[in-house]
Amino acid sequence: MSNLGQQFDTAIDIVTPENIAFQYRLAGPFQRAPAYVIDTIIRSTVIVILGCIGAIAVQSAAPLLILHFGIEWFYGGVFEALWHGQTPGKRLFRLRVLTIHGQPINGVQAVMRNILRAADMMPAFDAARDVPVFGQFGYTFQLGILSCLLTQRYQRLGDLATGTMVVVEEPQRLYGVVQIEEPEAHRLAAELPAGFQVTRGQARALSQYVQRRRGFPWPRREEICRHLGEPLRQKFGLREGISYDLLICALYLKVFVEEHPDYLTSQQPPISAPNLPPEFRR
Amino acid sequence: MKVADLLAARSQNWAELQHLCTIMDRRSKSRIPPEAINRFAALYRSACADLALADAYHLPPNTVAYLHQLVARAHSQLYRSRGIDLGQAIKEIFVNTPQRLFADNALRLAFLLFFGLFFLAYYLAFYMPEFADSVINFDGSTTQTDSLREMYSHGFDDGRDWWQSSSMAGFYISHNASIGIVCFASGLLFLGVGGLPTLSFNAIFLGAVFGYMDTTPQAQNFSEFTTAHGPFELTAIVLSAAAGMRLGFSLLNTGELTRMASLRKCGRETSPMIAAAVVLFIGAAVIEGFISPSALPYAFKAVVGAGSSAILLFYFIFLGWPWNEAKAKPAPTEFPAGSWEYAVSRS
Repeated sequence: MSNLGQQFDTAIDIVTPENIAFQYRLAGPFQRAPAYVIDTIIRSTVIVILGCIGAIAVQSAAPLLILHFGIEWFYGGVFEALWHGQTPGKRLFRLRVLTIHGQPINGVQAVMRNILRAADMMPAFDAARDVPVFGQFGYTFQLGILSCLLTQRYQRLGDLATGTMVVVEEPQRLYGVVQIEEPEAHRLAAELPAGFQVTRGQARALSQYVQRRRGFPWPRREEICRHLGEPLRQKFGLREGISYDLLICALYLKVFVEEHPDYLTSQQPPISAPNLPPEFRR
Repeated sequence: MKVADLLAARSQNWAELQHLCTIMDRRSKSRIPPEAINRFAALYRSACADLALADAYHLPPNTVAYLHQLVARAHSQLYRSRGIDLGQAIKEIFVNTPQRLFADNALRLAFLLFFGLFFLAYYLAFYMPEFADSVINFDGSTTQTDSLREMYSHGFDDGRDWWQSSSMAGFYISHNASIGIVCFASGLLFLGVGGLPTLSFNAIFLGAVFGYMDTTPQAQNFSEFTTAHGPFELTAIVLSAAAGMRLGFSLLNTGELTRMASLRKCGRETSPMIAAAVVLFIGAAVIEGFISPSALPYAFKAVVGAGSSAILLFYFIFLGWPWNEAKAKPAPTEFPAGSWEYAVSRS
């Protein structure tokens, strides 16, 4: 609970039993709405098609009515229990339901949070309520949205009662070190003093810049790099008028590609995950 | 070690972990060879270590983002929810739940409210026809009472055919159980009393219908129709309203927990209640569709009604009775296996 104190955007820290902190991105109500619409369409289609086939097959309206009941109430719960927190709509939009501790939800949580959606859907237009299948369009979802806005993990009432949250699983590709083609940068890198070490913040700034520099026109690159480049130029005693962009690239090459201080000899390995479990952090 | 070398060395491992995660997503764990699972654990640990040391390694931010996603993905494979433990489930259904229900004030309150209003409305409708008129024709029409009389004016000699019986059973399941679930969910609103309007309305309406029908010549048919499914159906609506009420009250009376923790605990405890209510609704619907309107003799319907009452009494009273005081205490809240916070909070 208390690890929410440091949260300032949609990223939420999960501390694993290995004492590693990794991040999930929370899904807000409007990110979840498209998934719900898709699920609603799937649900209604299945009810109508299977229900009608069943009704003709057994000569009774019972299949239609029972399917309507079963699928309306248990579609989400069954899928989330079997697909580890995902329904077809959630899978399409890469959402997943987890417990607030970042662990997969169990069947009871899955079914309960879906049953309790009935409370989140309130208030409703009375006229629409009793229309089968399409009746759900009469619900305004205002309570659910309000509850999402008031809680830090964007939980609706059903999430609060079962201790769950919805996160986005962004697919990430692994990019290697950026290739720098300019020969000038490689030449400059050789000129830089051998023992120079950058701080962590500088290393982060370097890699962030080099990853994105291709998107900027030349004058803009110079403008961005001047703030770091000018002090570095003076420190290294390089000639005036040098391209700051290339200087930064050279430093990047030096730090990331050609030489890197062995962290074990220079300092103790830092611990990025807190030693205290989150319950005891204040 | 250079970052470029480090990435070259590790990206192989990360890709392999990614691949194993994909396999585990698709197949059940039992069909994955043990070596692969061992390998998965080792790779997960090393990815964790890489993430922990990402800053010290000077890894670029997009690599760190990649590692966050990779560790998260592997984490949700490694720490999966436990499947349902059958013995635990049976103990929860037949031991813990009845005892919790027996001592549950919300259930007592809902029970008293429902049957209090029911009998009040019954006697008012029985002795004051205008009360029955205004309640049963609550939507302003004057035809409801007539159609009620009309509905029960035929005897049961013809029974019903398959189409009618099964369709009505389907309708009762869909309609009544949905009312129950909505009644439960609205308990979360207005701090526990959100389900009470539904409960009270049903109690007064049903009471008025019973009272009114007993003054008409169709009284015999009506009571024959309602005997068999009444116990299940009335208990189910009380149960779902009580479960909703408990959920709402857990926000007010939190014990020694925080408000949200109290709500979560109560959510776990009320889930068997609402499950029981849904089962009762379905049972009532099947009886109401197939037995109540059928041409079977009245004695049979009475036996069904008595039998279902006996089942309910056995479950709520016999299993719920605090036979020994130690057992009557609410069972400690169960945490899922592998829940490491549990271990932490105990230490």
